[in-house]
Amino acid sequence: MTLIINRILHASTKRKLENAVLFSILIFIYKIFFPATDNLFVLLLGEIFILITLYLWAVYVVEFIRNKTSAILSVIVTSGIFTAIVIFIVKTAYMLFSYPYSFTTKVESNFFESLFNAFLMLVLIVAIAYIFQTIKTLFFLRQKRNPSFYFNLMVLFFIFTALAGSVEYINNDIQFLVDILEGISISLILMNSFRVAWIAFLTKKQKISLLGLSIIMIVLFAVGTSVSFLYNFPLPALTMILRLVMIYGIIYYSVIFFTTLFHIPTAAAIDRKTEELSSFMDLNSLINQVFDINELSDTVTKMTRNVCNCEAAWLATSFNEEDTIQSVNSIGYLQAENITSNLRQKDLLSHDINTFNLKTLSNEEQQGFESVVVAPLKMHGKINGYLFAARENDMFFDDEDKKSISAFADYAALALENAKLIQESIEKERLEKELDVAREIQRKILPKSIPKVNYLDIASLFIPAFEVGGDYYDFFELDNENIGFIIADVSGKSIQAAFIMAEVKGIFKSLSGVTNTPKELFIKANEILKESLDRKSFVTATYGILNIKTGKFSFCRAGHSPIMHYTNNQIIKYIPQGIGLGIEKSDRFASIIKEMEIQLNYNDILILFTDGINESQNKSLEEYGYNRLEKVIKENKEGDMNTLAKKIIESVSLFSKDSSQHDDITLVLFKWKFNNKSIGDN
Amino acid sequence: MADFKVDMRGMGSVSVLDIRGYLDAHTTPELENAFNKLIDDRNYKVVVNLSDLNYISSAGLGVFMAYIETMRENDGDIKFSNLKKDVYNIFDLLGFPMLYEFYDNEKDAVEKFGESK
Repeated sequence: MTLIINRILHASTKRKLENAVLFSILIFIYKIFFPATDNLFVLLLGEIFILITLYLWAVYVVEFIRNKTSAILSVIVTSGIFTAIVIFIVKTAYMLFSYPYSFTTKVESNFFESLFNAFLMLVLIVAIAYIFQTIKTLFFLRQKRNPSFYFNLMVLFFIFTALAGSVEYINNDIQFLVDILEGISISLILMNSFRVAWIAFLTKKQKISLLGLSIIMIVLFAVGTSVSFLYNFPLPALTMILRLVMIYGIIYYSVIFFTTLFHIPTAAAIDRKTEELSSFMDLNSLINQVFDINELSDTVTKMTRNVCNCEAAWLATSFNEEDTIQSVNSIGYLQAENITSNLRQKDLLSHDINTFNLKTLSNEEQQGFESVVVAPLKMHGKINGYLFAARENDMFFDDEDKKSISAFADYAALALENAKLIQESIEKERLEKELDVAREIQRKILPKSIPKVNYLDIASLFIPAFEVGGDYYDFFELDNENIGFIIADVSGKSIQAAFIMAEVKGIFKSLSGVTNTPKELFIKANEILKESLDRKSFVTATYGILNIKTGKFSFCRAGHSPIMHYTNNQIIKYIPQGIGLGIEKSDRFASIIKEMEIQLNYNDILILFTDGINESQNKSLEEYGYNRLEKVIKENKEGDMNTLAKKIIESVSLFSKDSSQHDDITLVLFKWKFNNKSIGDN
Repeated sequence: MADFKVDMRGMGSVSVLDIRGYLDAHTTPELENAFNKLIDDRNYKVVVNLSDLNYISSAGLGVFMAYIETMRENDGDIKFSNLKKDVYNIFDLLGFPMLYEFYDNEKDAVEKFGESK
């Protein structure tokens, strides 16, 4: 027994169906053997079996209905069909057998009648189960709590009434009890008919359908009720339940009818809210997924048009009071631009949401629209654009419209900002890559080693800035007696500077072999560079030729930093006349540039550098300058050039330790170690 | 980031640009905008007052170079005035004073345009 109960209570959907069918077969056979009877025990046993079968079907059917709550109207239609079937089949039974039954006459039925009755019973069971469960499902739809006490009480009284009805079938004396129980049941039905919250969640279209449907249902249930009163089958309990369910149906669907009726005027507003809500949810996920500004704008205008029930919507981004139409919906691009620029010219685009009547504009300006609303896309107090919605009639946009358009505009602003940030970070990544390439170019261009020359101590040091600054230096071994060297600074930064550097290296390397003096080299270099460099670029450079036998040093300066010469305990800064390469397009370069020649003495030092050194800044924006450099040179003049280079860089970085390095730093040092006198002594 | 600002004034047929702060690769676009506007309005006679310019990078120098050429092609010029000593030294090293006109005060620069007419 417990096994059976367990099987019933903890059944899977499939098992539930099996149980229901199993009991249906049992009761079917039972009813064929005992169609109608005077025996109270036989009757009641049958009735209890019927009620259990009904329960089992109800338990199965509820699963079926629960899966379809999203299409609730179709569930109602199905229960209407079941009701119609019940009416049809009972009417047919009446016509076929013209039941003579009453509470007083009991008839020994023939087999065919019994068979039909048993079949009728099964149909009634399934139909009642479905109809009742439909109402119950509707009743608990959108309710968070479990079936209430009163609902269960009602079901209990349904059963009492049904059983009392069965007893009354044999013993008419207890009719008063049946009436009382029926009365209580109906009162409980009334108490359990006022939960219709789910109606509010239907769309306007669904509500209108429901209104018509509920009228049909009421009529069907009314007919069903009359059927249950008119005919007394040998199925008293089922008839009783049918009657109660039909009454429940009439009452509940009446409540549905009136509630729906009262909901219809507000239905459009609720539809709109729902649309708005789902639009926002869509937008929310879009913001995080889509970084394409155009796609986002399209979505925003589409949603605006849907929610505000207007003919057109468009979105413009604004920068410095210049508006660019990003997306249009149901309006031509030019039309949108026209209206936008019209409003802009009349200074009507402001920090707040505004509505305008376009009637004040000329017909041409109006573009067929009468009413327009404009919401700014604000981010951090800055306006990045506007969202527009327009109507062809003069129906004004109300507060509700404005609220939702504002909200869409806020979302659009956020989305645009997001998309912008993403683009910026992509751009940043691209720049990073460019910088990597620029650094690589620079690394390859700079000399791998310094020439080894007797009596000459050479050191060079290069520290690149984060954004490649365009510094370049090189040595050329010209012949047995002379070495040439260049130090240059290309204007601009990063990849652009790196390319010019590469060009400059090629030019100097080839010119150093075919020219005899620094001046000649620079004049030729300028000829080439003034053609190839763009208008904003130039190159500063110092080129020198040192005779390693005599210590004679000749050099030219093309707009570059001074050349420092330590000699006789003092530092001389040479600034021979000259202009940067690529600046002057005429022939004046040749007449301006002057060459200098000096004689190096024992332990003299030549210091060449780029402005990355003297323009290094500390936190208070002071520049390192020439004086600090001179001081370090004087303090370290005795040592080798590598040590001096390190000392200079130490000093520069100590000075500018709190601020970042803006420009490349290049330093080239020469110390003349040839003692003319000692040679003379030899 | 250091400040940068360009202001435009008209002095008869001559336009004066007051350039303040730090002119480097990051702030040159603002200066280029100002020059482009002058060219759009066909104002080719320009004096740049650099009394409040604190620093100029090679990118900034490049902008002057490019626009002086344009102005001169249109019978105008860019003349420099009121440079601080440090800033002048940068122009000087590069050889600008041999190619372009520099004045101690704005008035002289503006008047110079009148003379050449």
